[in-house]
Amino acid sequence: MTPKLPAYAGLAALGLLAALAVRRPELAVVAAPFALYAGIGLLLARRPRIDAEVELEGERVLEGDELEARVTLSAEIGAERVEVLLQLPRELVVAEGVNPVQLRLADGDRRELTFRLRCARWGAFRVGRIFLRTHDAFGLFVHEATLDLRRPLKAYPSEEHVRNLLKPLETQVFAGNHVARQKGEGIEFADLRRFVPGDRIRHVNWRASARRGELWINEHHAERNADVVLLLDSFAEARRGDSSTLDPALRAAGTLAARYLREKDRVGFVTFGGILNWLLPTTGAVQLYRIVDAMLDTQIVLSFAWRDIGTVPRRTLPPQALVIALTPLLDDRAEAALLDLRGRGFDLVVVEISPLSLLPEPRGEAGRLADRLWRLRRDAVRGRFERAGIPVAVWGDETSLAAALEEVSAYRRHARPLSA
Amino acid sequence: MAGGVGVAGCALTAFALLTRWRTVFPFGLALVGTSYAVYLALRNGAVDARAPAVAAALFAAAELGFWSLERTPSPSETTVLVRRVAALAASVLLTALVGSLLLVLATGATGGVGLEAAGVAAAVLAVALIARLASRASV
Repeated sequence: MTPKLPAYAGLAALGLLAALAVRRPELAVVAAPFALYAGIGLLLARRPRIDAEVELEGERVLEGDELEARVTLSAEIGAERVEVLLQLPRELVVAEGVNPVQLRLADGDRRELTFRLRCARWGAFRVGRIFLRTHDAFGLFVHEATLDLRRPLKAYPSEEHVRNLLKPLETQVFAGNHVARQKGEGIEFADLRRFVPGDRIRHVNWRASARRGELWINEHHAERNADVVLLLDSFAEARRGDSSTLDPALRAAGTLAARYLREKDRVGFVTFGGILNWLLPTTGAVQLYRIVDAMLDTQIVLSFAWRDIGTVPRRTLPPQALVIALTPLLDDRAEAALLDLRGRGFDLVVVEISPLSLLPEPRGEAGRLADRLWRLRRDAVRGRFERAGIPVAVWGDETSLAAALEEVSAYRRHARPLSA
Repeated sequence: MAGGVGVAGCALTAFALLTRWRTVFPFGLALVGTSYAVYLALRNGAVDARAPAVAAALFAAAELGFWSLERTPSPSETTVLVRRVAALAASVLLTALVGSLLLVLATGATGGVGLEAAGVAAAVLAVALIARLASRASV
């Protein structure tokens, strides 16, 4: 019941009684419409029965993409005015359509509302809770209902453009697309050697054999796959509004996972932080979905517990795997774990997700000094990594991921770690 | 005096609308109505022929006021808006017509104890009916 009903009843009563008291029919004339309105409204009032269905264009979208959500309302008993609100998470923005909207539903009516939604940020959501508020024609009664028709929706982080992937120092035993150091069946020429019984004739290098007067054989590099582990530092993040260092880190992880899996490599995923999550390295398209789903569950959980790399299951980090760490370098524990990993002989690359664009301008002399010290400390951390033979690529607003990875590739061409 | 009560009523109504205080709004309307009652009481004489217009104006003010006080108004479809405005206009027109009819009937009546008793009974019955309907308003 709205406040209008008691107000009109009260005004009617007051007017009619005043008309009697002062013996003026004009006051009855003034009061009568309120009485009639309230009386007719009460007689005609009824509870609406409205049902709804929610349909999403898809269950999976990429960050930044749009999808259509259709809400179908069917009224067994309609209402003069129906307010419809499709509840949406903050990350989903209505690009087309009006939400909430007020419409009319007569008895037996069926209406379809279409909303075009834009996924402003990655995440796993459930979309489809509808709030209905109906008003009768007289505005005397309001009925509210919530229909929980939620459907799962996953918005995957968008992909970064990467031209060349980092080549692992060591390959594994299975066939793949990386040219291995070992010799075997392959296309890439490796060396020449003398013919021994059992060698295939098609491997004979006829030009060399003619020159030396005996049979010489071409040797090739084998083409193998590699193990790649994407290690996501989730100890801390820099955040400003809706932007966070976690977003580019996840975009990079998704891109690299997709690209390495396409190269037939085994890819694993470790979230190393307040909550430890891992996926064992394996190949195939299913693994990509597993990784992306694991990424959507990633969140920064504040924790003071000291975690080292020993807490990560051994099988998650296979020997000779290329470990690509995605970190904003904001937490000492992540730094220590990465140095430990390198100390254990892993082929480690650090992609630093620069938090600088998310920082507020330092205020005052003390603020500027603190900012300078903080930047110097970060430089020192990078220096420690480089001394340990860990290439560090800084990925920020000014550089693309492709450029950062090229930088690492160049570093690895000229500065091979001694233990590798 | 009637003017003073009327101004107070308008001020209270305006205050309720500005502060979106829905409880106060009917009291503002009641004060405006009271100012008309005071005017009529002081007037002494023939029936005021403008009563239907006053009734229609007060009713329109009440409807528009409650419309503006509705919480979280969502954008309406044009059909809803047009129907609502049409319904309001029709209600106001009907108010004026019913008021005129009532006034004609009241002017034509000769009066007497019987008619007065019937009036009291009708008023009490109307209020009781509204109260009764409102009490089972769990529709």
